[in-house]
Amino acid sequence: MRSTSRHILGSVKEMIQACIQCGTCTGSCPNAFAMDHTPRHLWQMVLNDRTRDVLTSKTFILCSSCYYCTLRCPRGLPLTDVMGSLTRLARTENPTGFKKSHLFYGQFLQSIRRHGRVNESELMTLFFLEMKNPLLPLQYAGLGLKFLQKNKISLPFVEKEGSHGLEKIFEKVREMENQA
Amino acid sequence: MSDQKYNALVVGAGISGIRAALDLAQQDCRVALIDKSPAMGGLLNQLDFQFPSTHCGMCKMLPLVHRDRSSQFCLRKGLFHENIDLMLSTELSDLAGEPGNFAVKLHQRPTWVDPGRCVGCGLCESVCPETVPDCFNEGLSSHKAIYLPVPHAIPNAYVIDLAACSRCGACEEICPTDAVTLSQSNRKNFNILVVDDELSIRDSLKEWLEDEAFTVDMAASGAEALEKLKAQTYQLMLTDIKMPEMSGTALLQKAKQAYPDLCVVMMTAYATVETAVEAMKTGAEDYLIKPFDPDTLVPMVILIYQDIEAARDREITVDTVILATGTSFYDPADEKNIYGYGIYPNVLTGIEFERMISHSGPGGGGLNRLDNGRPVQKIAWIQCVGSRDIQHNADFCSSICCMAAIKEAVLAKTLSIEPVDTVVFYMDMRTWGKSFQQYYDAAEQEHGVRFERCRIHSLSQDNLTGDLVVRYVSGSGRTVKELFDMAVLSVGQRPGNKTEHLSRICELPLNAWGFFSTRPFSTIQTPQDGILAAGSATGLKDIAESVISASAAARSASQIITSQNRHIKPPVKEMPDDQTTKTDNAPFRDVSREPVVLFVGVCTCSGRLNQWVDPDALARYFSMDPDIIRVAFINQACTADGWQQMKKEISDCLANRVLIGACHPYVFLKKIRELAQTVRLDPSLMDVADIMAPVFRAVAEEKKDIQAICTGVFSALNSGAESMKRMEPINPQPIPIAQKTLVIGGGIAGMTAALAVADAGYGVDLIEKSDRLGGNLNWLHQTIEGVSLKDFLTDTVDAVEKHPLVNIFMSSRLISFEGSAGQFYSTIENEEKKAVDVTHGAVILATGGHEAKTAAFGYGTHEAIVTQKELEIRLAENQIDPAQAGTVVMIQCVDSRQGSRNYCSRVCCPTALKQARHLKQLNPEANIYILYRDMMTCGFSESFFTRARNEGVIFMTYDRENPPAVDTGAGQITVSLTEPVLKMPVEISADLVVLATGIVPDFSDDLASLLGIPKDSHGFFQEAESKWRPLDAIKEGIFACGIVHSPRSATEAADTGRAAAQRAISLISKPAYLPDKTMAIVRHSLCSLCERCIETCPYGARMFNLDHTLIQINELMCQGCGACAAVCPNDASVLPGHSGRRMLGTIDAVFEQLHN
Repeated sequence: MRSTSRHILGSVKEMIQACIQCGTCTGSCPNAFAMDHTPRHLWQMVLNDRTRDVLTSKTFILCSSCYYCTLRCPRGLPLTDVMGSLTRLARTENPTGFKKSHLFYGQFLQSIRRHGRVNESELMTLFFLEMKNPLLPLQYAGLGLKFLQKNKISLPFVEKEGSHGLEKIFEKVREMENQA
Repeated sequence: MSDQKYNALVVGAGISGIRAALDLAQQDCRVALIDKSPAMGGLLNQLDFQFPSTHCGMCKMLPLVHRDRSSQFCLRKGLFHENIDLMLSTELSDLAGEPGNFAVKLHQRPTWVDPGRCVGCGLCESVCPETVPDCFNEGLSSHKAIYLPVPHAIPNAYVIDLAACSRCGACEEICPTDAVTLSQSNRKNFNILVVDDELSIRDSLKEWLEDEAFTVDMAASGAEALEKLKAQTYQLMLTDIKMPEMSGTALLQKAKQAYPDLCVVMMTAYATVETAVEAMKTGAEDYLIKPFDPDTLVPMVILIYQDIEAARDREITVDTVILATGTSFYDPADEKNIYGYGIYPNVLTGIEFERMISHSGPGGGGLNRLDNGRPVQKIAWIQCVGSRDIQHNADFCSSICCMAAIKEAVLAKTLSIEPVDTVVFYMDMRTWGKSFQQYYDAAEQEHGVRFERCRIHSLSQDNLTGDLVVRYVSGSGRTVKELFDMAVLSVGQRPGNKTEHLSRICELPLNAWGFFSTRPFSTIQTPQDGILAAGSATGLKDIAESVISASAAARSASQIITSQNRHIKPPVKEMPDDQTTKTDNAPFRDVSREPVVLFVGVCTCSGRLNQWVDPDALARYFSMDPDIIRVAFINQACTADGWQQMKKEISDCLANRVLIGACHPYVFLKKIRELAQTVRLDPSLMDVADIMAPVFRAVAEEKKDIQAICTGVFSALNSGAESMKRMEPINPQPIPIAQKTLVIGGGIAGMTAALAVADAGYGVDLIEKSDRLGGNLNWLHQTIEGVSLKDFLTDTVDAVEKHPLVNIFMSSRLISFEGSAGQFYSTIENEEKKAVDVTHGAVILATGGHEAKTAAFGYGTHEAIVTQKELEIRLAENQIDPAQAGTVVMIQCVDSRQGSRNYCSRVCCPTALKQARHLKQLNPEANIYILYRDMMTCGFSESFFTRARNEGVIFMTYDRENPPAVDTGAGQITVSLTEPVLKMPVEISADLVVLATGIVPDFSDDLASLLGIPKDSHGFFQEAESKWRPLDAIKEGIFACGIVHSPRSATEAADTGRAAAQRAISLISKPAYLPDKTMAIVRHSLCSLCERCIETCPYGARMFNLDHTLIQINELMCQGCGACAAVCPNDASVLPGHSGRRMLGTIDAVFEQLHN
């Protein structure tokens, strides 16, 4: 039960220690249906020091920061912030099971950083390259074709890089993360 | 207004206020009972059903001894006690002085209807053109601007909601008794000065206010205003803030200096609102933001007018003040309004639901949807709305909502004609009180109420069907969407509306949540000497706890009154002189040997009666009766002149029976008592017949059938006369009372009770079975708040040991017990088998309880598995090294709330939190797990739950069916359970396992049978009534306190001790008891000793006296209900004054006809 890596979750745990497992967050969460662990589960896992299970969970990746849970939590816990902290922690710790989410997330951000918006073809290409799994693109082929038909996928490398002024934001975030 | 003296002022006439007032009044203290609303009864007025009986039962608080001094009917209807002055629509506005001499200012809002004259005929209501939402039904229905505040009060006088009233005068015109005074003429004398530099504003204000019949003057500048103020008296000044030369603020200061009574309202542009708010701090009454219209201005001015001009202020002096101001409710329609309250029609609060299901409610008890009127088939209860919610500044539990919701769900199931599905969504089901857990189980298992453990985040509405959509996480972890016809919000409580205001007046501190703070180890003593608080004003309480705290507050209050040596005389040995004896000093004449001389006085209500009934025919009819000496017609008996005439007529004819025919019998109750003193005739030989009811009823129904009215009036009068003629003078004999109390048990409750009785000047015999006083406090060290119990214990033990009136029997027990209330005879035996006989009038049972033994969870197999008590002791004796206790597992509800001990011990959850936090402090690295079923941190102890979580204590729930397992194999303790949220098995290697085994009472079968009182199903003291008489045994004269009554904390136990002492003192405060008039007797010559009456008596007042072979009645316990008289086959058991002859004669008289 007690894990040597409990300190990894320490700061997150402090944020949600007062959770009373009332279920308001899960009931509120618009994305809970897609999560492998509902928010309520995730908090209980954090409180029980199930570090590995927590960090390999997709829950916080799927959080769309709608802030419903934070708004409604009777304990006033900063749940959306906790989701963010867990995402950051998972990226730093990078446990094996988290690789897919982590790489996708990383490439997603990089794509935005380059173009000021996401470039779908570039994002997926780089993601597949990094995953080093030749069969992986096949899994996404169907979805990709659907998107193509609906003109939802922009052509690769047509937008100019660095013309959008997002760089300052990324710099600021890095600064804040370093401080934290 | 004249300066009046009272012993106590009780603020708030809800159940706590009523209980405290009654307790004090029973002890001959004069009590002023005030309430800000126009009806008494508080919140309970609106609740028709209380669990577990689903009845009301408030009347059970009425005194059982000295009953004749008080009214004996439904307490929701009203309370008349000779020592209580009830003042409604009245608020405390100022308080100065010290205990024993508080100068109190009371502010009474006028209701514009004279309650002494209003007969509740309802004519005014039928003509009133204004309609407003009905407060009593929580806005679910509406009433007119002139309305009855509650449908059931006696006397039920109308009041006017002045904010809604358009002053059309229709009610004033139609009122048959001239009770309504809406006169505009007084407004002419209310002078208003309008100060503004803009002429247009001055003009329009003048016009608006003159339309409302006020006198208005204008001034264009500050200087002009000051001149006008000098020349004439003004009551109100409306001033602009921004004016050239002198600003409104400067004018305010100058005007207030010279005329402190002047009321000033600031008028300001939006930009300078802050200045206006500042101005209010320097004495302005209110402010108006420009531009405003008459709809804003006029009601404000009228309210001010009402406050200044029309309100009646009274000044009284009192020895002590009890604040029983109760609570208010959280408003769910706050800025977030996540449940759509007020937006979705089918979302109700708990109170609204109670009104809906009430037979006097808007739907007459039917459960129909509010949008389409269809029957309700599915209802959801949503718990913790505005409670246990830090986002809404409520880090406390409202304590009562869980049980209220269960009750409401059961009511819906049982009262609805259509089958109803009910679901309660909760976080922890807090069944902390006596019998609560059983009620919960019955709701779930017998009634089929569904319980879902999940907080509901929000509600939405299906716009097509109007159904309410609830999305929640079920027990299995799935997200579920369910549709409901109705949702009931269990809204949490908040401090009473006036708490902050009162705290300023009384200089009382408030706690973090805005309730009155109390001293340590008391829930009733405020930090101010002489000011006490009762009921939920100091924290959330249910009915029983409120009643207990009110009695405790009454005890502390009468302590102050006694120490001031007022009104209450120290007990004296000889009989008091106010007993009815056959000497000339007796207050009433002895008329038992005189023939009946009946006087009939008829109020003609300013000649109105003559329209329907011929007085001559009445006089002729009654003059034929030889028993009737005179029939007198009096113009208006309710006026001073009329009453004087009545008195004179009665004295002149030396009547020994009096019947008054008038409009409202209750108006005459006090007058009859006073009349009794003047004409020296026992008030039981006088009565009032309500002769105007048929008249008013006919008028209201617009059926002016003269013959029917005439018959109605005659019947009332004739049956009243017949009833009075056959009324026998009753002359009860006083019974001596032993003015001592026996207290069994020397724990904190028993000692507090003993001290409270002894401090009141009565002797106490205190029995303690062990060789040490203190009970459980000998091993308890500190409270959850971290206050040491040691000083509390030593101080109390010292006080008890040193008190000259407390006689302590150590290492002793009760071996014999006989007698009845007022005279108990006991034998106490000590260790050396030496026996002592003692006599006393009342008994207080305080034998306490102890931590239950257990064999569960491996207790006894490993030394590191301990109980909470053992942990407390080991921690205190430093037997536990916190560094070694790296992982501690606490298991709650061990053998509790299940099986044969299906009750909550209430103290274990707070104790676990206390110990967990203590261990965490000693070793911050420690892992502490608390495995619980429902966390019972009611009231403010919820905040410790939050703190414990914040400090890193880990909480896991388990349910009754799947308890954790403790394995002690290989010397290592492993606790395993399935984590209910994750549905994963968890194993914890524990260094220490702590079991919360709960409390079992120390109340042996022997003692119970010796005292002759039953035990409840779990072996605790069985109270006479769980809500309204929580500390009284069914057998009169025996009271309980502390944990033999029910598990509770040291503070709460001490308060029950005070309350039990109060109950006992009510009984023994006089050396002799004069039985009430209505009391059964046995005619022994006719009695066949069949003993049916003994079985029938609901008060256990009868016993078979073996020594004299006869049926004996305990005069203190007999309530005169007459059940014995009805069941007696030989007419041996009779209720004097209620003979068959009288009853049948009265009935015959009803059907007699008056022939003109």
